[in-house]
Amino acid sequence: MSCWAGFRTSAMAILLAALTACGSARRSEPIAGPLTNSDPVRRGAQVYSWHCQECHPAGETAIGPALNNKPLPDFLIRFQVRRGLGAMPSFSKEKLSDEDLDNLITYLKALRHNAPHP
Amino acid sequence: MRPQLLRPTLSSLLALSLAACYALHPPDGGGETAFDGTRSFNPADVALPQGYRIEAVATGLTFPTGVAFDANGQAHVVESGYAYGEVWTAPRLLRVEASGRLVELARGGRNGPWNGVAALGEHFYVAEGGELEGGRILRISAAGDIQPLVAELPSMGDHHTNGPVAGPDGKLYFSIGTATNSGIVGLDNAKFGWLKRRPTFHDVPCADVELNGQNFTTPALDASGHPVQTGAFHPFGRASRPGEQVQGQVPCSGAVFRLDPQHLRLQLVAWGFRNPFGLAFAPDGRLYVTENGYDNRGSRPVWGAPDVLWTVREGLWYGWPDHVAGEPLSLPRYRAPGQPELQSLIARPPNPPPKPTARLGVHSSSSGFDFSRNPRFGQVGDAFIAQFGDLVPETGKVLAPVGFKLVRVTPASGRVEDFAVNRGAQNGPASKLGHGGLERPVAARFDPSGENLYVVDFGVMLVGPHGPEPKPGTGALWRIWRESEP
Repeated sequence: MSCWAGFRTSAMAILLAALTACGSARRSEPIAGPLTNSDPVRRGAQVYSWHCQECHPAGETAIGPALNNKPLPDFLIRFQVRRGLGAMPSFSKEKLSDEDLDNLITYLKALRHNAPHP
Repeated sequence: MRPQLLRPTLSSLLALSLAACYALHPPDGGGETAFDGTRSFNPADVALPQGYRIEAVATGLTFPTGVAFDANGQAHVVESGYAYGEVWTAPRLLRVEASGRLVELARGGRNGPWNGVAALGEHFYVAEGGELEGGRILRISAAGDIQPLVAELPSMGDHHTNGPVAGPDGKLYFSIGTATNSGIVGLDNAKFGWLKRRPTFHDVPCADVELNGQNFTTPALDASGHPVQTGAFHPFGRASRPGEQVQGQVPCSGAVFRLDPQHLRLQLVAWGFRNPFGLAFAPDGRLYVTENGYDNRGSRPVWGAPDVLWTVREGLWYGWPDHVAGEPLSLPRYRAPGQPELQSLIARPPNPPPKPTARLGVHSSSSGFDFSRNPRFGQVGDAFIAQFGDLVPETGKVLAPVGFKLVRVTPASGRVEDFAVNRGAQNGPASKLGHGGLERPVAARFDPSGENLYVVDFGVMLVGPHGPEPKPGTGALWRIWRESEP
């Protein structure tokens, strides 16, 4: 791929990321109703409460950026959780097992798709 | 990874990196807004889970901080008489009539903040914060007579005497917050106001501790600007030495106490908290506290420290000034940008700090709370915590307002969920969102029936270039109840 094509790809990715982050990130129960009550979602919510919500409360912007309005693919979530990114710490398998991470991703997707009341 | 995915993946990571680049984002705290002096109240601006309702019961309060109920179930609130930004008004105990009319029962002196109220027997008990003269626990009769039960508590610094709450044993439980952010008196404490009034005040441990001797250099308070060194548990400008022993004493800083209101016996329950502002007993009789976490300020700033919900176990040390939520401050995640990694101030921790019950939002100012006891309200055993909201930029930086709502915590799992939040495209206080919802919830207490959750709303506190700007007369008392089951 030429330099120009590579730059274009990068720019589109950045623009896409920026555009997809523009919508409201509010998905919690008072705003959008309860989440599905499946075991993976419940377990994922617990993992989220212990490791994520202090910086991303209810998946919204706080000291960390919002998560609910960004369609991150699973592998990127895993990458960011395991490696950290910028000010975000990393979470090893000792701290957050693979099973916990699977449930966390299930929860994040459920939260992201929880539509606000009209 | 397939080669054709590599470039878009790297590009996405770049975008994520930019998005996660904390330093590039401008701060946007909840108090960083304007206020024209008129507050409206509209329950429809507050979102709750299905079946719950909210109404404003009383308005026009000045810096309210707590609510309790007399034997008839009538609500009584305290107005603190002091707010950050060093605004002094009269601390008061007020009866809230059914119409919302406020009737003054008692008025205190210039030693606020009155940080909460409890009803026990025929009396009310108030934690007088003690910013000027030291903390006190006051007994107030139905006729409004005020009697101090204990005085000269070491709470003339950043944080004050908090609570109290009546225990199932008939005793009073209250707390004293620390003088400083993280153990070192510094210029941030001068900005609070108290350091110039009391230049020798400092934190006091509850038991003997040995110091590592770490000192922090700042300019002196006087015009000379000469550098001075300050050590842990020392006054400003006094250095510590490695191996130095600091004698513990009771009462002390960052601790929970038990007071027998009959015999006036004061006992230490637990220590090593930073600012254990909220206290409540769960239905099973266990005592819990909410601890306001470290700020990113002062001589020893801490980044990204959560607020914490703790189960209080007698005799334990809970980690301040070297741990947060059971983790050492030396972890890289707590290092403030541009600062060295934190080292322990205490050479030998009294005990390994316990693990928390729940971790709460960084800078959320998780404060007064209570436990549901009645199935008619629902969520029996869960804690409902008022989050006063961030005081950015005084305490650090956030990308959007944090707190300004109630959260529900299930103690057994540590799960944290929103319960009462303002409607809008983003979270924040009503003043910033431009509507009539919650401003700064500071306390939550169920009435004796357990069917109604009363929320004390401190009112508008902006944070301007010179610090906090509290607005008198903007406080309120809300009531939440469940009208129907989902």
